[in-house]
Amino acid sequence: MIEFDPTISSILPNARPMMPQAANPTAAKGDFSRAVKAVGEYISKVDDMQQASDASVQDLLAGKNNDITAVVSAVAKADMSFKVLVGVRNKLIEAYKQTMNMPL
Amino acid sequence: MSVPNVFGPVDIAVSGMRAHAKQMEVISSNIANSRTADDGQGQPYRRLEAVFRAEGKGPGGVTIDDIVPDSSAPQRIYDPGNPKADSAGYVMMPNVHLPVEMMNLNVASRAYQANAAILRRYQRMVETTLELLR
Repeated sequence: MIEFDPTISSILPNARPMMPQAANPTAAKGDFSRAVKAVGEYISKVDDMQQASDASVQDLLAGKNNDITAVVSAVAKADMSFKVLVGVRNKLIEAYKQTMNMPL
Repeated sequence: MSVPNVFGPVDIAVSGMRAHAKQMEVISSNIANSRTADDGQGQPYRRLEAVFRAEGKGPGGVTIDDIVPDSSAPQRIYDPGNPKADSAGYVMMPNVHLPVEMMNLNVASRAYQANAAILRRYQRMVETTLELLR
């Protein structure tokens, strides 16, 4: 017979509460703008990677570089980092829209 | 964790692809020279072997440490008509055995494919993770 214990935190002392708690509301100020700023910094990194991948493709086509695996690596990195950027940006914009459409 | 750490598997897979491509280059040199009785110094061509080395401790890529000649004895082939034949009619031929090279070529190309598969699979994994954001 299984005995169900609804207070799971008594079994798992390290289990964290499920919902975020507003224990320290003052620290949350400016978090959104900070996130936007972080994305802005990340954009320049992504741009560097895109340019590196472009340069390696051009070097390959011009015959300066015959290491195709380096091109593959640069393009894969640029692609993945761009997808990360787009995902985060979409989420941020969605959060902004939801906040703006909140009925007051 | 910074974002560039995400690229660890990419770098490792690419290093594997690069190492096995080099290995294939070595094998193709062996096959091309399988009947080369003169390596430029009057000796028969010696079979080359690529030596791999792990990049540092722990998880990491692979590099070609060195390309060393195989020190096994050259083959002696009876060919009295050959201008390079010795007094008994034997010619020294490279210590390259084509079946062995073909097997190594299969291993190298499969390993290359496996590394490419890892790269593709990892990219898909990252995409799957990013779909959780939506």
